[in-house]
Formats: sequence, structure tokens, C-alpha cells
Amino acid sequence: MDDYVITVLSNIAMISFIALSAYLLLITGEISFGQQAYFGLSAYAAGAATTMFALPIWAGILIGACVAGFVAMAVGALTLRLSGLYFSISTLAFAEMVRLILLIVQVQVEVDGEMVGPDGANGFHDIRWMFERNISLTEFMLFIYGLLALVLIALLLVERSRLGSVFRMLGSDDLLTEMQGLNTVRYRILAAGMAGAVAGVGGALYAHFTTYVEPQFFNVMLGVHALAYGLIGGLGTAFGPLIGVAIDVGFLEAVRFIQGYRMIVFGGLVAVLLIFMPRGILDEERVHRLKTLFSRWSHARAQGR
Amino acid sequence: MLELRGLSKHFGGVKAVDELDITVDEGEIFGLIGPNGSGKSTTINLICGVYEETAGTVRFREELMNGKQPHQRLRAGIARTFQNIRLFPNLTVWQNLWVARNSPQDLAAQGFLSRWFGATRRTRREIAELLEFADLEHKGDELASNLAFGEQRRLEFARAAAARPKLLLLDEPAAGMNRQEIHDLSGRIRRMRDSGVTILLVEHVMELVMGVAERIAVLNFGQKIASGTPGDVQRNRAVQEAYLGTSESDSPPVDTGD
Repeated sequence: MDDYVITVLSNIAMISFIALSAYLLLITGEISFGQQAYFGLSAYAAGAATTMFALPIWAGILIGACVAGFVAMAVGALTLRLSGLYFSISTLAFAEMVRLILLIVQVQVEVDGEMVGPDGANGFHDIRWMFERNISLTEFMLFIYGLLALVLIALLLVERSRLGSVFRMLGSDDLLTEMQGLNTVRYRILAAGMAGAVAGVGGALYAHFTTYVEPQFFNVMLGVHALAYGLIGGLGTAFGPLIGVAIDVGFLEAVRFIQGYRMIVFGGLVAVLLIFMPRGILDEERVHRLKTLFSRWSHARAQGR
Repeated sequence: MLELRGLSKHFGGVKAVDELDITVDEGEIFGLIGPNGSGKSTTINLICGVYEETAGTVRFREELMNGKQPHQRLRAGIARTFQNIRLFPNLTVWQNLWVARNSPQDLAAQGFLSRWFGATRRTRREIAELLEFADLEHKGDELASNLAFGEQRRLEFARAAAARPKLLLLDEPAAGMNRQEIHDLSGRIRRMRDSGVTILLVEHVMELVMGVAERIAVLNFGQKIASGTPGDVQRNRAVQEAYLGTSESDSPPVDTGD
């Protein structure tokens, strides 16, 4: 594989984290335009951990995900009373605040004779953990996919669990959820925290894969794309947003004649899907039908033996 | 069991519920009737905490409920159904019952893992019993949105039962039902009561209320105008006037979609 293919494949996986993050909030009925903030916060936090404090990468990822998760919980608690459009705007405002703050944060320390750390508008350079250890792009890509698989399995387990049902309940009827004896406030904050942490894992990986991050990358278009992936791929299962990412970053990027028109094709795709499949390709109804088919099939096979 | 004292809810100048006093005793089926817009649904919403009262108190088993969140009231033992069916359409019938099991008794019986990730054998058995109670034995794996109207009503009833309530508020459970379904519903309401649940029934369908309720209170314009046994209420002159109109009153009851 050449470096270009590896980069595209790695991008698919890293963007998948933020798509899953936006998806987690979408199923609880909230549209966040601000998940890029947690991706960015974690990229900075994880980068700082491995460069300025010489921590191993797993610690960096853990710290990044925790920072993102706790900030997301705090923001979730503050925006609890907002819903619909007001909630969306507040998430966007918060994400822009984070981006603008990162633009002015300059905390550099000297490590081995070089200055490292966030450097305001110049971004955060030399997050070289991967190169210092002679880890190849391919190996790091496999590492990214390994973590993505872990996060995906965790989310699929959550979806099967009662917690997954509670998240979907919040998405369809908040008051009715409260009427089941469930403290909706607690679950909304929990969902926000989980979504923040998932985006954080992606951000931490991104910082170490590219070795360089700048606030400009975490602009609102990243958040809008993250939302669109879930809406394209479907809100019925955590595989949905991954399909969305694969369609956008994989297919549209790979097909040469679309290049230059990618955003037009992508926008059109979102519009068409919103009209004909408002909850995406793999929506709840289709996922349920697939599950029924599968359980009948496996049942028939077990009887055939 | 349930004591409403001077309970009022005003929306701007409209007194939806006005100085209401009602006492429901443990183990009875209590009917609450009245013309459209008389404040019946508002009363239910006040009891289960959807609305905050303008004045007055709600006491449940001697405990003051004012200021408590709906989820706290459910855990105290107040469950309800809705006039216009409210289910979780994206969840299966089974899941709709699973997520409703939040009584302190059920929460205490399960550890963290079995509560969130797997259903214990006992949970499965009890959900199967609820499905049977609602005549939905073979519908467990269907999405709630794919159920027929009557089935959705029965699922709502079973879901309320899944919360192991001590008091069940039924908000017009017979709306849109045919004779046979109403008959089945009265059977189900009696079975609930016989298992120790007190029932507050808000209903338009007189056939149901007069058939199952032991005591009835009649509301009109947010105030209680009569109460007593079904027989007393039917003979009450004020009640007849509220329903049929009086010769001197030319303002018909306002329908607020209540």
C-alpha cells in the first residue's frame, strides 16, 4: 500500500470516531454542531501528554478522552435546559470558543533542546511519538483500526443494553422517559460525556498520526460532516455512521472524476437521503428487519442440523 | 392513599383545576369524569408531576409530592397511561416493557450488570407474564410502531403495570375502543386492582366508568361538582346539567382538547 492509500484509510478510521460521537447524541435526539471541539481538545491534550510530559501514547489517548469526556459532561450539564435549535446553536458556539481559545494558547516547554507545545495560531507541531519509535504508517493505521474496533464493540454492547434503549427513549420522547422513573438529566449528561470521550479518542489518534494539529482543522465543517455521516449511514446501529464515513471519505475521495465537486456531490447526497430516508440508510426499521431475518436464518440453520 | 387538597392549576386566567379536594382510598377503583375541558387530564398531570401546581397539595401515602420530579413520583409508586398513546416506537414491545421496570423493588433485585446488560431469568419470566397479561405473547419482538391501535393501548397498560405501581392513573384508556375491547379492558383493570393496585380512572366512556368504578368524582370547569357511587352521580342534578347543559346557561363547555 502506498502512503496515500494508508492516509485515506487512516482518515476514514479517525473521522469515524467523531462520526460515532455525533451519532451517540443523534440517537438521544440532540443535534450537536460542536463535536469537533472534543476532537480538538483531546488532540491537544494527548499531544501535550506525549511531547511535554513524555508519557506513553496510551496514556495520551486516555488523558485526551477523559479531558474531552469531562468537558463534554460539563457542557452537557450547562445546556440541559436547551433543546432543538437552541441546543444546536449553543454547541456550535462552544466549539468556536474552544477553537478561538486554542488559537491563542501558547504553552511551550523545552524538551531535549527543542521547544514543544501548543503555539497559538501556528498550531501544535512535532507530536512525533510515532517517528521517535520508528513505527510505520501501516502499523499505526492498524493501531487506529484496533481502537476503532474496540470503541465500536463497546458501543454495540451499549446499544444492546438497557442503556442503549434509554438513549433511544430520550430521542423519541423525553417526558415519557422521565415517566418511566428514569432521571433524564443524568442520562443526557452521561450520553454527552460518552460522546465527548469517543470523539476524544479520535482526536488523540489524529494528533499522533499527522504529528501536527492546528485549531483551524477543528472548524465547524468537521462537526457538520460528523453529523451528516450518521444521517447518511443511518441511526439504527453504530455501523451507520461508519457507512457514512466510508461513502464520503472513501468513495468520494477515491473516485477521481468527482474531485473538485466532492462537496457538491456530498451535499446533494445528504439532501436526497434526508428526503427519502430521513433516518439514514440503516434506520431503526431496517436494522430491526435485518435482525429478524438473521435470527430466523440462524434458527432455521440450527434446526436443519 | 392519594389526597389532593385545594389543588389548583391556572394557565394565565384560565382555572383548569380549581381548589380540588379528592381522596382516593387504597385498593379502590376511583372514577374521575367530566365534560371536555373540565380539568381531568390536568389533574392527572398534576398528580404525576408533569405540571407544577399553582396552589394546593398532592399527598401520596402520607408523603408530600409537591416539587418532586416525575421520575421520583414513579419510583414512589405512581404510574400512568396517556390519553393519546405514547410508546417508544423505535423499541420492540419487549424492550418497551424492559425499560419500564424501574420500581425500587426491581432495581434492588438486580446487580449493575444484570440491570444494564442482561435480563435475568426472573426478569424474562416477568416480562413474559406482562406480555400475556396484555395479550401480546407473540408480539414481543415487533417494533412498537408496527402494532395495531388496540395492541398499542394494551402495551401501554402493560408498561404501566411493569413499573409495579401502587397507584395507576389511566387517562381515557377506552378512547377509540369497540365494545369487546372495552369489556376486555374492564377485566384487565379489575385484575390490576385485585393484585393490589389502586386505580384512578379518567374516562369519557360511561359504560366503562359506571361498570368498574366504585366511587366517582365529577369535574366541571376545574371544580368538583359531585361525588359518590356511580348510582348517586347518575342521579345528581348538577351532573346532568353539566353534561346536558342547563336552560339558563347558554355558554357551552369549552373544548380545550383535554
